[in-house]
Amino acid sequence: MTRSDGGFAGKVLRVDLSTGKVSTEDTVEKYGDVLGGTGLGYRVLWEEVPAGTGPFDPANKLVFATGVLAGTGVPCNGRTAVTTIFPTCWPKPLVGSGHMGGQFAARLKYAGFDALIVEGRAEKPVWLFIRDGRVELRDAAHLWGTGIRRASLEISQEMGADCVVAAIGQAGENLAPMAIVANSLSHSAGGVGGVMGSKNLKAIGVQGSGAVRIAGDKGEWEKLIKFHLSILGGNNQHVVPSFPTPQSEYYNPGSRWVGEPGRRWGAAEPPIELSGNIYDLNRIAYRTNSAAFFLGEGAWKHTVRGNGCTACPIRCHTIVKVPAVAAKYGIREVAQNTCVGLLFGRSFFKKLPGGMRGQAALEACMVGMHLADDLGVWCNYGQLQRDLQKLYYDGLLKTRLGSTEYASIPWDKFEAGDPAFLFDILPRIAERRGELGQVLSQGTAGLFSQWSIPEETWTQDNGTLYWKMGHPKHHANEDDGQCGVIINTQYNRDAQCHSHSNFVRNGLPLAVQKRLAAEIWGSPDAVDGVGNYTPMNAHKARRARWSVVRKELHDSLGLCNWMGPWVASPLKERGYRGDDSLESRFYSLATGRKIDREGLDRIGERIFTLHRALTMRDMGQLDMRTQHDQVPPWVFKDLSGAQPFSKGTICMDRADIALAMDLFYEVMGWDKTTGAPTQEAYARLGLTEVGQSLRAQKLLPGGAA
Amino acid sequence: MIPEAQTRLTEAALAAVREASGEGRLVTQEDVLAAVMATTPGSPACCEEDAGADAEAQPSSASVGQEEQEPMASEELKALLSGILAEHPKLASFEGLSGQTVYHAPDVLSRTYARILDRKGSPLLLMAEEVRANSRDYPRPVPVELFEASPFELTPEEIERALRVMATDPRHQDITFTTTSTGAVYLFSTLHLERGYAAFLAQRAESLAANP
Repeated sequence: MTRSDGGFAGKVLRVDLSTGKVSTEDTVEKYGDVLGGTGLGYRVLWEEVPAGTGPFDPANKLVFATGVLAGTGVPCNGRTAVTTIFPTCWPKPLVGSGHMGGQFAARLKYAGFDALIVEGRAEKPVWLFIRDGRVELRDAAHLWGTGIRRASLEISQEMGADCVVAAIGQAGENLAPMAIVANSLSHSAGGVGGVMGSKNLKAIGVQGSGAVRIAGDKGEWEKLIKFHLSILGGNNQHVVPSFPTPQSEYYNPGSRWVGEPGRRWGAAEPPIELSGNIYDLNRIAYRTNSAAFFLGEGAWKHTVRGNGCTACPIRCHTIVKVPAVAAKYGIREVAQNTCVGLLFGRSFFKKLPGGMRGQAALEACMVGMHLADDLGVWCNYGQLQRDLQKLYYDGLLKTRLGSTEYASIPWDKFEAGDPAFLFDILPRIAERRGELGQVLSQGTAGLFSQWSIPEETWTQDNGTLYWKMGHPKHHANEDDGQCGVIINTQYNRDAQCHSHSNFVRNGLPLAVQKRLAAEIWGSPDAVDGVGNYTPMNAHKARRARWSVVRKELHDSLGLCNWMGPWVASPLKERGYRGDDSLESRFYSLATGRKIDREGLDRIGERIFTLHRALTMRDMGQLDMRTQHDQVPPWVFKDLSGAQPFSKGTICMDRADIALAMDLFYEVMGWDKTTGAPTQEAYARLGLTEVGQSLRAQKLLPGGAA
Repeated sequence: MIPEAQTRLTEAALAAVREASGEGRLVTQEDVLAAVMATTPGSPACCEEDAGADAEAQPSSASVGQEEQEPMASEELKALLSGILAEHPKLASFEGLSGQTVYHAPDVLSRTYARILDRKGSPLLLMAEEVRANSRDYPRPVPVELFEASPFELTPEEIERALRVMATDPRHQDITFTTTSTGAVYLFSTLHLERGYAAFLAQRAESLAANP
């Protein structure tokens, strides 16, 4: 492993599948100013992938990038961003990133690489072998056609212990836009599996025996890690438990901190009873049980333990064991995943015998995980399931599918809530079989492009939760009013941002949240009670800006934005404050390059602005405000007729959202008319050349070429 | 009492309250006094006639008070303890259901939890005040099942009885409920939450697990 600045492994690995050429670049020299992760991915696409490149063209590149803090002892550091021209983006593929946790990020760094850039297309199926500095393309003929589990197992046996495998399933091989790549069996990045498949790259196996050097004082480093642990809550940084406890002043039945003394991991051998002080730093992993939160109380008895990513004490991937499914469906009795992954199978059904938390629901979840995590099918944050339901119950499928195909699908099982339905529908999607398989495998985009269903049919229906460009909302107005809306306008896929939602959902009383908001964003008015939204103000715009900047920072440092930021804490003695400078303090100690909060945030803003520039270039569009930053009509509609700003509605006001965008563009230093960054904004962020390039393409506000 | 002795008494009182809090108990001044006497052989109070027999058997020299100090009068000790308990920054108190002042150490036993413990003998009050606090502070309605779980641990029958009484009791007319589309019942106080907003918040709470 090359000795480097602390934090960085030092090298970026580049593999050209067309030629077999393997090369490396110096990470800090080439990409240090964008850290890693999404920053590095956007930079590669900006510099190397021309506008108009299709997702499955050999010219498209696939960038697996970790970050400075991945592979260290920093909590929640197991993230890899997979950036590429995103295939489910409609009507035109644009830059997007999938994000996976697991062990891949750490292992890649221990092998000596901060990132892997995959380019070209192999002539025949291959898999990429990486063992420390040794890199080889190996034949994958025997793996092609297998699921993710089989491929991972075969490669693991070939490589030996302590390797990590990231693989695609049949969906990716068949170039389904709705395909994942998954490492460590269940840690997936959505939407990018088909791009791997288009390159004939079945999998990447990584072994690394190196370490990540920490440049700063070891004592300070350890102290900061202990401090970080002390301000952690449960899953999604919910900082109060869901139940009253002697140590807590506050509780929230909606909190994902569900583990309390007396609960049992009933399927562990032997069963484990949660005991002791839940505030003890060695018991953080007891707090989260995603299965119990998402699937219901009954999941406790099926819980084996929490699993998760490198160095993360939260353990949000709950391992569940349901012996009944082995005999009933012929599948493994053990599965693991978190949130959307856990819910994958259940979400297909409008109703299930015994309700959404009954036995059939549990079995649907088990079958869903078994199939989706092996075939490698993505759900587009639940949009796949909502799309199928709408198509079916609105009668659209009958008119779109041939009668033979329609009759071949067991709709009786679908309506009855029989998990066996999943054995029919998911392979159809993965294999892109028939008209329905073809269309659903493209995501919502397939409905619009292949079936010519007007997008308005989706954007006007509150039940679809569809936002724009082929993707759904991701913590929008239902969680965070204008702040959520702004954030959801900014990306080319669902926003994947949790900076804002993890704060408003943290479980603290509104008065405490407002006190913290005043300290962090300058005013208690930066945050509202959910469904009790007040008119837009500059502080909300500032919080929206902070949210996307922190998201990009986390994605580029290797930290988990699903768990952070950590600006609130469970600590009464700190007034429930977290620490807004945590990321910069870790960065400074890891690299030995001192940077303050503002300095690191500027880098985050640089990364976010690069994403903006890349999107504009590839859209060929200056008027981002009307052509990109769209809000679906359902956001402005309350089905019961409630008016915006009345209590109990998430309905927003059009003029107020227009003001929200004005204020957001203003705090970003962008042009209000077009929503495009100005040359000054590019220059301030060290992106002068990017601005000049856009000027030449007439994509700079007020600037002719 | 000389300063050193007062310090030792303060420490003993703090330890007694913290220990009780750690065990999930609220304590009165008398409880603290008894605990101090029991755990601090030879404390001044031990010399009083009304001290327990075990305490009386302890040598009076090994202690909170100074060897040379005269035994403190019971009333004087109580007054001193009362001041210590009232003013100690690490202790908190409130008037309990019994009408007596009860003490706890908030860093071990939070105010919220202490109130719940105090009201456990009165399901009606326990539910009503918890519903009001939730409606006022967060604000949110609470699922009725909350009261079956720890630390409330009420039976469905107790909950039903309490709700029935509340429905007719003029002092609890603010406590009401809303039912979500999934059939879940959430309680709230109209003193702090409008019905429409409570219904919205209840619906949202039910849907959180489907909005990951």
